[in-house]
Amino acid sequence: MQNMKLSGNSSRKFDLQRIVVLAVVVVLTAIFSIFSRDFRKFSTVVTLLDSFYYFCFIAIGVTFCLISGGNDLSVGTGMVCYALIGGYCITKLGVPTWAGMLVTIACGLVFGVLNGFLVSVMNLPAFIATLCTMLITRGLGSVVCGGAVNWPARSSPDGWFRNIFKLMVANSSGKKTPIPVGVIPILLAVIIMSIILNKTRVGRYIIAIGSNKEAARLSGVNVIKFQMSAYIISGFFAGVAGIAYVCATTSSITPGSGAGLELDAIGGAIIGGTSMTGGVGSVFGTLLGILILTLLKNGLPKIGLGQDWQNIITGLVLIFAIYIDVLKNRKKG
Amino acid sequence: MKKALAIVLALMLILSVSVAAFAEDLHFEIVSKGFQHQYWQAVLKGSEEKAAELGVTINFVGPANESAYDEQLSQLNSAIAAKPAAIGLAALSTETCLDAIATAQAAGIPIIGFDSGVPGAPEGAIWANAATNNYNAGALAAEKMYEALSARIAAAEGAVRIGVSAQDNVSDSVVSRGLGFIDKFAELCAADGFTVKLEGDAAYVNGANVTSDDNGKVIIETLVPAQVTSELSLIDCNTLMSKDDTIAIYGSNQHSAEAIISANENLQVLGTGENDILGAGFDSGAVIKAAVADGTLFGAITQAPVAMGAALVQLCYDAATGVEVSDVDTGCQWYTAENMDDPEIAQNLYD
Repeated sequence: MQNMKLSGNSSRKFDLQRIVVLAVVVVLTAIFSIFSRDFRKFSTVVTLLDSFYYFCFIAIGVTFCLISGGNDLSVGTGMVCYALIGGYCITKLGVPTWAGMLVTIACGLVFGVLNGFLVSVMNLPAFIATLCTMLITRGLGSVVCGGAVNWPARSSPDGWFRNIFKLMVANSSGKKTPIPVGVIPILLAVIIMSIILNKTRVGRYIIAIGSNKEAARLSGVNVIKFQMSAYIISGFFAGVAGIAYVCATTSSITPGSGAGLELDAIGGAIIGGTSMTGGVGSVFGTLLGILILTLLKNGLPKIGLGQDWQNIITGLVLIFAIYIDVLKNRKKG
Repeated sequence: MKKALAIVLALMLILSVSVAAFAEDLHFEIVSKGFQHQYWQAVLKGSEEKAAELGVTINFVGPANESAYDEQLSQLNSAIAAKPAAIGLAALSTETCLDAIATAQAAGIPIIGFDSGVPGAPEGAIWANAATNNYNAGALAAEKMYEALSARIAAAEGAVRIGVSAQDNVSDSVVSRGLGFIDKFAELCAADGFTVKLEGDAAYVNGANVTSDDNGKVIIETLVPAQVTSELSLIDCNTLMSKDDTIAIYGSNQHSAEAIISANENLQVLGTGENDILGAGFDSGAVIKAAVADGTLFGAITQAPVAMGAALVQLCYDAATGVEVSDVDTGCQWYTAENMDDPEIAQNLYD
């Protein structure tokens, strides 16, 4: 009971943090828009969203692991691995596109179960367990596919899946305009996962486990089952992110890539108010945190700040977010 | 006479059997830059075919990505430990590999460079290179682009911008292709009386053999992503292609060329029309080939990866069997929608 009160208390404090994060989103957007005319262009908004979709999906999944007191480092390389295998099934084995997409998600679920098993049943530290599956997924895609894989191009009959995230509408002169319909699945995912986190037994028990695992166990919570469910959710969203990645960002998936994306996703979740020590977090906060990182990635080059500044500023933002988390934990303690 | 002939035949037989037996024992370790791009699969294919032809064995490895210097170093150390007859090496970073190269030298193992080779390696460490002259390849792209753009530059009232999307500012091959492009484009501009201003990544601005003029008529801007990821290069290309004064963009490898094509999906600005942005790529792959074929990209440079793989194994074989070796330029070609089906070019275009 005390745990539930604690998390409720923290979530009220969190509202303030989310307002701050939302304000940062607004300020960043304003700064980039003022200093770069190109940033205000519609095509820039669409490109920003293209790189936001998959990033957001993997971060939603990781949020559940972080709230449960764990972590999932396999989501970045995993996302690429699952997309490679799904694409391989479509282009090399000739399965229909929808089946390749299901394979992509299924691969994510399999690794989600594996991560959950390693952490909750075998009691391996989440950091180590998912570091191992990160290495496995980093190599597995290459072993299975033997090299880079191209998902079907938009112009091919099998390229319909790209319309899930971006519709190309031609005007009378034949010029095509992209419509970023990917915001719909993102919003649906945020709403559904927010409800699951806050209004269902699964979400509440994941929060309870993250707040105090032993107390949750003594209260009768099936810790193994619900801790594992956090990793299955993360795996599922890594699979979905794989589809978003090939739909909106690139057709060509290269094995071994994706390393480092998990840190961005975890960073986004932390900026959005999810605690590194577990028990606290929100899906909407993660959405805002990822939006900040995506704004920085897209906006800094537009105002002439090169790669070094992008790394420095992103690092500074993360230090700030983690420091807030540390302060919150001190107060909680 | 018959006896002499029989002796000669017997000697030839013994010689051929012993050469074959020797050749079968030859094993080469090849350390590439990884398998991220189909390009490397084509190099592997050429290597395997030549190895089969020569009757030797090869172990072709590469790191997970082209930023994994330590992983490649570990693979190079494993290759040396395997005591091969020769090593093929496409170094991601020569500095990282220096100690390992010295170890191979001390062990008497010949090292053959390929792709970008091992630039800056100690004198005598690299016996020969099987490589594209990347600087010249970049220059070839600049020549073709300038040919198509010179009238537009002359007619423009203000400054015009040429974008360069580079995967990184570390890899010698990528940097050479970028600098080759920048230097040649600036040289052609100067010949026609146009001044040039360089902008963007410092490695390219400072590395180019160009005197930058702040009031340049032609601005050449090079962007490099913070990490080698598709979405960051896509953002760079979007940044370059969104600018009102941009008239052309060049991507110096498969990764960057694909990012240009992805960025165009939202912008719809590439083409060969009067107001379009002229796009040029490097290497092939299904996405780039399709873009060249349908006119989205004006053209691209292709190397000869299969020939490069074959030349590499031949050089390893020659070095291991005591034949004198020297550098082999495996060449490059400019391909467009018009000539990409020519057999001479089509053989170097891979999916």
